Amino acid sequence: MIIQLKSGIVFDPANKIFNKEKDIFIKNGKIIDRSDLNKKIDRVINCKDKIVMPGAIDLHTHIGGGKVNIARLMLEEFHIENHDRFDSSTIIAPSTFKTGLKYIEMGYTTCFEPALLPINARQAHSEMADIPFIDKGGYALLGNDDYFLELLRKKVSQPVINDYVAFILKATQSIGIKVVNPGGINAFKFNQRALNVDEKSKYYNITPRDIISKLSKAIYDLGVPHPLHVHCSNLGIPGNFLSTIETIKAANGLPIHLTQIQFQSYGNNGDKRFSSAAVEISEYLNKIDNLTCDVGQIMFGQTVTMSGDSMAQHRNHKHAHPNKWMCMDIECDAGCGVVPFKYSDKSFVNALQWAIGLEIFLLAEDPWKVFLTTDHPNGAPFTSYPHLIKLLMDKSFRNDILHQLPKEILKHTILHTLKREYTLNEIAIMTRAAPAKILGLDKKGNLSNGSDADITIYDKKENDIEKMFSRPTLVIKDGHVVVENGKIKKYIWGKTHTVKPEYDTSIEKSLDKFFNKYHTMKLENYIIEDEEMNTLIGNQIIVNKCKYKRKQ
Amino acid sequence: MAEHIKNNNPKGLVCPFCSLHCDDIVVSTNNEKFTLINTNNVKCSTRIESFNINKRSLFVPRIKNIETTISSALNKTKKEIIKNNEILVLNHGTDMSGIRSILNFASNHNAIIDHVNSKFLHQNIGVVQRTGYMATSLMEVKNRADLIVIFGNDILDKTPRLLDKIFLSSNSLWTKNSKKEIILVGEFSSRTVAKIKKKCSVINIKIKLDLIPEFIKTIDSCKTNKDLKISNNTIIKVNKIVKKAKYMVATWSASDFTKTSNAEIIISSIAKFIVEINNYRRAACLPISGNLGDATSSQVLTWTTGFPSCLKYLNGSFGHDKNSFNGLELIKNKNIELVIHINSLSMNKLELDSKLTNIVIGHPNSKFSSIPDIFIPIGIPGIDHRGIMFRTDNVVSVHLKKIRDIKLPTLKYIFDGLI
Repeated sequence: MIIQLKSGIVFDPANKIFNKEKDIFIKNGKIIDRSDLNKKIDRVINCKDKIVMPGAIDLHTHIGGGKVNIARLMLEEFHIENHDRFDSSTIIAPSTFKTGLKYIEMGYTTCFEPALLPINARQAHSEMADIPFIDKGGYALLGNDDYFLELLRKKVSQPVINDYVAFILKATQSIGIKVVNPGGINAFKFNQRALNVDEKSKYYNITPRDIISKLSKAIYDLGVPHPLHVHCSNLGIPGNFLSTIETIKAANGLPIHLTQIQFQSYGNNGDKRFSSAAVEISEYLNKIDNLTCDVGQIMFGQTVTMSGDSMAQHRNHKHAHPNKWMCMDIECDAGCGVVPFKYSDKSFVNALQWAIGLEIFLLAEDPWKVFLTTDHPNGAPFTSYPHLIKLLMDKSFRNDILHQLPKEILKHTILHTLKREYTLNEIAIMTRAAPAKILGLDKKGNLSNGSDADITIYDKKENDIEKMFSRPTLVIKDGHVVVENGKIKKYIWGKTHTVKPEYDTSIEKSLDKFFNKYHTMKLENYIIEDEEMNTLIGNQIIVNKCKYKRKQ
Repeated sequence: MAEHIKNNNPKGLVCPFCSLHCDDIVVSTNNEKFTLINTNNVKCSTRIESFNINKRSLFVPRIKNIETTISSALNKTKKEIIKNNEILVLNHGTDMSGIRSILNFASNHNAIIDHVNSKFLHQNIGVVQRTGYMATSLMEVKNRADLIVIFGNDILDKTPRLLDKIFLSSNSLWTKNSKKEIILVGEFSSRTVAKIKKKCSVINIKIKLDLIPEFIKTIDSCKTNKDLKISNNTIIKVNKIVKKAKYMVATWSASDFTKTSNAEIIISSIAKFIVEINNYRRAACLPISGNLGDATSSQVLTWTTGFPSCLKYLNGSFGHDKNSFNGLELIKNKNIELVIHINSLSMNKLELDSKLTNIVIGHPNSKFSSIPDIFIPIGIPGIDHRGIMFRTDNVVSVHLKKIRDIKLPTLKYIFDGLI
C-alpha cells in the first residue's frame, strides 16, 4: 500500500527541513522518495494546514519492569478513582495497554525504559511486549552490581570491563547502559546512607568517579551510540549541583548523558537552604560538547516516584504522599524504591523545582543536547508533555503560572527574566531528531528516504499549542494509520531496539563460576536469547549498529 | 521440537512446581518418563516425578468422563460459553503465556478472572497498599543475611530447598553459616531444628502465630511479656541478636497465617518492625508466595490491568472488585454459572461444585472432587512446553524449558480455539 501525505508543512530537523510544504510518500512501512513510486497511490491524505513531523521519541520514561509494577500494585485507590475510556489504571502508573494508547494518541512512536535491571530484564521486556503500538528499548543498569564492583576492586583492565558491559547489553537485550547513584545502591546494602562522587564505598573502597570513568570508557570503546546514561549521586539533595559537575568531569571528556538533571541542579543558598543552580549546570551543558541531558521537569499534582536509587528513595520515604512506600534490595544487582509523591504549587521547594527545570530548558543553547522529559512518572506523567511544550513556547503562559506560585520563589529563580520561547523547529529537534541521533536510531526521528514511516500530523489551525500536541489529527506507525482524529484505527505491535557490540566471550567463563557459586540461577538461564525475545516474550528485536568496531 | 529430547542424556529442568523455580535440577528421560538424578531432596523429587503420566488415556479430552476428540471438546466448551451468562476463569496455576491467553479469552467473553490463592495474595499486597515495606530477593538473602527470622513453618514445606539452597548455602559472599543466626517463630519439628543446628545457631520461639505482634513488641522493647511465656533470658538474647545483625531477613508465608485470627495484622507488624530497623541498620522482608504460579498471575495481571486478581471485563476494560469478583466466594454462593478451571501445576484435588458447569483445562494427572463436565488435557509449562514464570521474590522471572514431548496442547492453543 502506498500513502501520500500531500502538501503538509514539514518539520524534519535531521534533514534541515523546517516549516516547508512538502509531500511525503509511504510504502511498506517505510518513507520513500517520489522518484521511487512505481505503483498507483492507494491513499492520498490531504495535509494542507497540517504540521508533519517524525513520530516523537521519549528517551527516558519508566514504562516497564519491577518498580513500575510495584507502583501499579501499590496505587490501587488511584486506579479506582480514574476510570476512563481505555481502562481504570491511573496515568501515574498506567497499565501496559494504557501506556501504549496514551503515547500513540500524543504522536509518540518510540519510548525507552531507562532502568532495566539485568536480573529483571525478562520481566521488563515482557511488560513492554504488552504495550501496543510503540517501539521500545531499555538501558541496562550497571555500576551497583557486585560482580562489576569486584572487577573494579581487583583493578582489572579496561578491556575486561568492556567485555562485561558488552555481555550485559547482549544478555539483557538492551540498547544502552545506565548507572544510577554510582555505587550508592550497593553501599546502602552495607548500611551506608550517602556516597559522594569522591567518597569511597566502605566495602569495595571504590568511588562513584571510578565507576563513571570506567563505564563511560567502556561505552566509548565498544562504539555503543548512546553515551553512558547517568543518574548522578545525591539525587534531590540541596547543593547537589557540585556533585553533578564532578560527575560530568568523571567522564574525562567522553560522551555522557545526565538524566533528570532538574533533580541534580540544586544549590543550598538562601534562607531555605534550597536554591536553583540551573545557571551553573547550564554553563557546563553549553560549553561541553559531549554532554547531553534530559530534564525531568516536574508538574504540580499527584504522581509516584520510582527509581533504582534505593538509597535516595529510602531517604525520601518520609515525604511519601499518600503515606506508603516500598524499597527493595535486588539480587546483588541493584535495588529499587517506589514512593508516591504530590508536588504542590503551594510548596516553596516544589515551586522552585518547577522553575529550575524550565530554567534549564530555556538556558540551553543547543536543543540537540537537551531532551524533553518528565522522567515519567517521577516528575509528572508523560501525558503532561503538551503542557510542558506550551510552557516552553509561550512566555506569557509560563509567567502567568509563575506568578501564581509562592512569591518568595521569585527571589530564587531567574525564570521571569528569561524571554526565550521555543520554536516548533526546536521542539521537533528535542523530541524527534535529537533523541534518535543520540540513540543511534538512523531510521527514526527523520523523514528520510528509507526511514521508518513513523509520522505525526498536527492541525496548524489549532490555536492552543497544548491542545495541538495533545491530539494529533493523524499518527502513522510503521506505515499504518493508527490514530485518526483522536480515534484508534488499528492495533499494531512495535519492536524492541538493541545493540550488540562484539566482546571476548571468555568473560562468560568467569561469570559462569560466579553464577554457579553465588547466584540463584544459572548463567545460561539469565541470558535472554533472541529467540526467547521473539517467541516467549513476544518482542521482535532490531539490532542497531554500533558506531564503529570495538576499540581495544 | 523439544530442545533436550534427542536422547536420554541428562537434561536441565527449570522447575515450575514451587515458587523458587530452581534451575539446577537434572532429569533423565526415558520415553515419556522423567526421573530426577541430581537432587537428594525427597520432597522435590516426589513432587516433580508425580507429574509423570502412566496411562496414555489421560491425554484424551473427556466430556462427562467419556473420551472425545479435542475438536469435540472445544465445540462443547464453546456451546457452554454461549449458554452461560456469567463465566469465571479460576486459575490454579499457569505460566505467563497462559495468563496472557486467559486475559484474551476474558476480554472476548466478559469473563471474571481470579486465582485460587488470591486471598493469601491480598494479605501480602495489603501491606504494600496500606503502608509499604522493605523487601529483598533470594540472592541478597543467600549472600547477605546474617539473621533470618522464619515466622511459621509452612514455607519449609512449601519450598523444600529454601533452607539448603538459600538460607544455609555454603556459598555466600559475606555470611558464613557458622556466623549466621536463624530464629524460628512458631511450631517447628525437632528434626528441622536439629538440621539447622548442624550448620548455624538456631533459636525456636514456640509461640502461637497469633502472638507474633506481641512477640515483636517484646523483642523490640526488650521487656518481659507474661502472655508469651518466653524467658527473660531468651528475650534479651533475641534482642541482642537483632541489634547485632547487619542484614536481618524476616520471612513468612501468608498461607501459614490463615490459622490465626488476623493474618494482615501479623504481616503488618513484621513489615513495620523491619521498616523501623532500617532507620539504623539494614533489614528486609521476604514473603514466600504460593506454588500455583501465584506470583506469575499477579505480575502479569497487574501490568496488563493495574490489578493483581479479582477482575472482570466490562464495557471495554477490566474492572476489579475484591469481593464481587472473588472466585471462591462466587462458587460458594453459586453466583456463577460456568467455571473454567485452569490447572497446569497443581496435584491438589480441585474442588468442583457439581451444581455448576465445570470445565477443567488442566494437566493430564489433574484430580477432581467430582467429574467435570468437560476435561481438556494440556501440557505443563517447564515439562511439555517452554514458558516464563515469576519467582517468589517477584523480581526474577525464569525461562522454563521443554523436557518431554507428548504432543499436549498449550493453554494458549486451547483458548485461541475458543475465541
